[in-house]
Amino acid sequence: MISGRPVLEMHHIGQVFPGVVALDDVHFDLMQGEVHVLLGENGAGKSTLVKILSGANPRSSGQILLDGVEVRIETPRRAQELGIAIIYQELNLIPALTAAENIFLGREPRRRSGFIDQKRVVTDAQSLLDELHAGIDASRRVCELSVAQQQMVEVARALSLQARILIMDEPTSALTGQEIGELFALIRRLTQRGVSVIYISHRMEEIFEIGERVTVLRDGRHIETRPIAGTSREELVRLMVNRELKEHFPKVRVEPGAEALRVEKLSRRGVLEEISFTLRRGEVLGIAGLLGSGRTELARALFGADPVDGGRIFIKGKPVRIGSPRDAIHQGIGYLTEDRKGQGLVLNLAVRENICLASLARFSRLGWVSRTRESNAASGFVDKLRIRTPGLGQQVRYLSGGNQQKVVMSKWLCSESRILLFDEPTRGIDVGAKVEIYQLMNKLAADGAAILMISSELAEIIGMSDRVLVMCQGRIAGELSAAEATQQKILNLALGGN
Amino acid sequence: MRVKSLFLQHGRQLTTLFVLILLSAALWALSPHFMSLSNWLNIAQQTAINAIIAAGMTFVIISAGIDLSVGSILALSGVVMASALQAGAPVPLALLLCLVVGALCGSANGLLIARGKLPPFIATLGMMSVARGAALIFSDGRPVSGFAPGFRAIANGEFLAIPLPVWIMAAVYLIAHLVLSRTRLGRYTYAIGGNEEATLLSGVNVKLHKTLVYSLAGLLSALAAILLTARLNSAQPIAGMNYELDAIAATVIGGTSLLGGEGQIFGTLIGAFIMGVLRNGLNLLGVSSFVQQTVIGAVIIVAVLLDMMMKKRRS
Amino acid sequence: MKKAILSLALLGLCIGCSQDKSAPAVALVMKTLNNPFFMDMQLGAEEAAQRLQLPLIVQAAERELDVEKQMQIIENLIQRKVAAICLTPAGSREVIPAILKANRAGIPVLILDTRVDSTALAEAGGKVATFIGSDNFDGGRIAGERIIEKLGGIGRVAILEGIPGHETGDSRLRGFHAAIDKAPGIRIVASQTANWERDQGYNVFQNILQSHPDVQAVFGCNDMMALGAVEAIAAAGRSADILVIGFDAITDAREAIAAGRMEASIAQNPREMGRLAIENAARFMRGEQIPAYIPVPIELVRK
Repeated sequence: MISGRPVLEMHHIGQVFPGVVALDDVHFDLMQGEVHVLLGENGAGKSTLVKILSGANPRSSGQILLDGVEVRIETPRRAQELGIAIIYQELNLIPALTAAENIFLGREPRRRSGFIDQKRVVTDAQSLLDELHAGIDASRRVCELSVAQQQMVEVARALSLQARILIMDEPTSALTGQEIGELFALIRRLTQRGVSVIYISHRMEEIFEIGERVTVLRDGRHIETRPIAGTSREELVRLMVNRELKEHFPKVRVEPGAEALRVEKLSRRGVLEEISFTLRRGEVLGIAGLLGSGRTELARALFGADPVDGGRIFIKGKPVRIGSPRDAIHQGIGYLTEDRKGQGLVLNLAVRENICLASLARFSRLGWVSRTRESNAASGFVDKLRIRTPGLGQQVRYLSGGNQQKVVMSKWLCSESRILLFDEPTRGIDVGAKVEIYQLMNKLAADGAAILMISSELAEIIGMSDRVLVMCQGRIAGELSAAEATQQKILNLALGGN
Repeated sequence: MRVKSLFLQHGRQLTTLFVLILLSAALWALSPHFMSLSNWLNIAQQTAINAIIAAGMTFVIISAGIDLSVGSILALSGVVMASALQAGAPVPLALLLCLVVGALCGSANGLLIARGKLPPFIATLGMMSVARGAALIFSDGRPVSGFAPGFRAIANGEFLAIPLPVWIMAAVYLIAHLVLSRTRLGRYTYAIGGNEEATLLSGVNVKLHKTLVYSLAGLLSALAAILLTARLNSAQPIAGMNYELDAIAATVIGGTSLLGGEGQIFGTLIGAFIMGVLRNGLNLLGVSSFVQQTVIGAVIIVAVLLDMMMKKRRS
Repeated sequence: MKKAILSLALLGLCIGCSQDKSAPAVALVMKTLNNPFFMDMQLGAEEAAQRLQLPLIVQAAERELDVEKQMQIIENLIQRKVAAICLTPAGSREVIPAILKANRAGIPVLILDTRVDSTALAEAGGKVATFIGSDNFDGGRIAGERIIEKLGGIGRVAILEGIPGHETGDSRLRGFHAAIDKAPGIRIVASQTANWERDQGYNVFQNILQSHPDVQAVFGCNDMMALGAVEAIAAAGRSADILVIGFDAITDAREAIAAGRMEASIAQNPREMGRLAIENAARFMRGEQIPAYIPVPIELVRK
């Protein structure tokens, strides 16, 4: 149903965040009734671009035209007025209200008395939902609806706002196969009515099924826009990853030693499916996969932070039971979490106190902490890891990201962990500190530690791992040796290919 | 440099101390009876009960919790002890019984919060009512009064010319300070309040330590009950109403953040003294109880505002 | 910083409005300031103090039963070296340690309205200058006799008690029972506490009405509770057929009696109590003898 003129044109779009160029001279256009797929790796700039359209990033540069007329989108409200609606991965509905109340939230039709016209809210909402063939009773509460139905409600809300451009960010991530089919049918009905859709997804098969054109972004730049028909999956992957390796990885290979950790058929319903692998001393095992592929969930399960439904874990060849982080630490496992501030550090405690948090029992007798022994241990790590801090008593909130990360590493070294689970160890850290952390990983491996490294940065995975496991939808989609691992192969596995 | 680092570390307590000094200076100027040793001992005695409860409250609030049940626990442990005394139990046994009742109520709070995953506000709100009701049932709604002089000496005895309650308060604060700064329980209290998830992922037995923190608050409420009962020579089932608010106020004035993870025990002591000095001073000046409430409320707000301003300036 | 100092200074100024006078003052310590009974008492005391040119300090806890707060007030007044303390005890026994402190400081204590437990006081070795008040037992008895008379000797009666263990309420209750016991036709169907408070009086009597809709009269051990019952009766549409008798004859109760919503109340004359307290304190300070019991007459207030 594509008609000839673009509804939306974006030219020379740029967005600079402190220290980072998130978008650089990006072009994008959208025809009426089109489904235009936006594709790129994590951090390629998709979300930034979408946020500019929805008014969440008002300080961007460049030109936006709607129906050929230049507009400025300074606030989310302005975006709404212009007929642009966005449906996020996490739905923005109020669970305790009914579908109808959610659809008209903030714009309830009123009677002359000033009271809300409940009857009209319900009838209007119902007719909107019926138009979408949603099969939802508008007077049911949102918390009683399935995720797919909630999405329908979001779409109905967008339509009630006269949206002409609908942005869907990973809309199928929580849907079952049948629900995806229904969603696609809905999207087709919308485009027939002239609504244009910007569709963001990682799932290749969906892209080929629903999309008409695709724009690939990489490192904040526009790579290419082309019709999907006549394009192959391999070509798209190449467009997404083709870039020169900018970072240098000081990887030192160590001959792997004895088995440190073996996992057999570890499962957690809906999250992890029969994960099996072996990790040896001196080895860095990279875990790659897209967001939501189960990488972090695997680390949490190994660490006892989440319960598992089945599977066995062996440490140094012996079966162990890990029911809590305490058990894991007892077994010599350390977990450097992906969310450093939220899960790794107690920000208002001092450097010394954070370093010793997981091993305080060793520095205390009958509950009484020996400050001297604690300080000695902590200052040893501050020296060894070159943590830049004015003193051991400094609150960690005042340290830079790299130094904070070194504090977390020190915590696990201090607790004498020999199996280290590193989840995004260099996220949000400047280049210099990154190299230091890589060097530290080399040293740990040389000393016989076993490291499992989760990362979204493919270059890092390839540069630092001895072996790579690629995860996809809770399963291990494949294993690659250091020699055979390329970005293209990893991404292909991560996207569910072979 | 030395002075600066001292200020950075204890800045919050110094601000509170400054408010206390300012307030005392003002009252000294207004009343000739305020600045005397006997009046200060008087203030210290009157402050002791709130200060002891607030010490427990400080632990709870640093762990990012709240305890609304301290006043009711005080009433319950008080009437249980008083009944035991009247039934002829030896004083040490009755005191032990009182502390055990308080600690048990506290650990019930702790278990509901740590194991039952109830929000602290709800769990302790429930306990507030349960313990109050239990105190009324236990005592049949009547005060239990009249004890041997040996017991009453706890409140009106003196050592080195200083009343015993003041010594007890001092001991409680010294121990609380050591526990908070030098023991694992203290460290974990800060850690849990600062970031429970990170603490859990560091292998700390969060449930156990949370339970301990609430038990400690209950224990200290019971200690306060001993002092109050000895002071009035009577244990009332309706005693300790609104004491939780006084304790929270002293803690907050003392610079402990309601968000948890931050706070110093001596700040709370100063906070309790600010409230005690204010009540005493307003009594001396013959200010009506209506005005007193307003003034105390205003001082709480001013103290916290002042702290926020200082904090902004420091960062 | 400057702003903070300024605001504290302003606060100081506020407090400063009530300067600490250096002349020997008499203190009146009441249970609370927010009960009309005590307001009347304060009024009587103030009139007397003005006439005698005695500085008067009036203090009370925020809540009527806060014995600990009352104790603190007395301690602070001792620090302030007042010449005499007129006291309405918040607890008959709990107040004794405070009296002892005043004794030790050589400050005479005059007790008003609520008696101190005399045996306990004697045991503790404390002494009070006098008790100024009405005989609550007598008041309770008069109320009981009135109900018997109005019901013609036959009927069902409910009681709203004060806080158990408090001398005032207990005496009124005993007096009431003493009268009722002599009328075999009167049956007490419910006797529950409403903690001296109006809102509780309302709720408790509403509940009594649920279980005993045939109740014909109610005696409230103070007017606040009785007035709560009056409202509950009005809400139930039963104003015509339930008698309410209160105690204290506060202004609200007098109005209710005049309007016919309440049958009667026992007048204790708190204003007179306040006056007598100050006058006798002055006499005592001059070294004159005062009697150990100064009765304040009781009367039945009715339409």
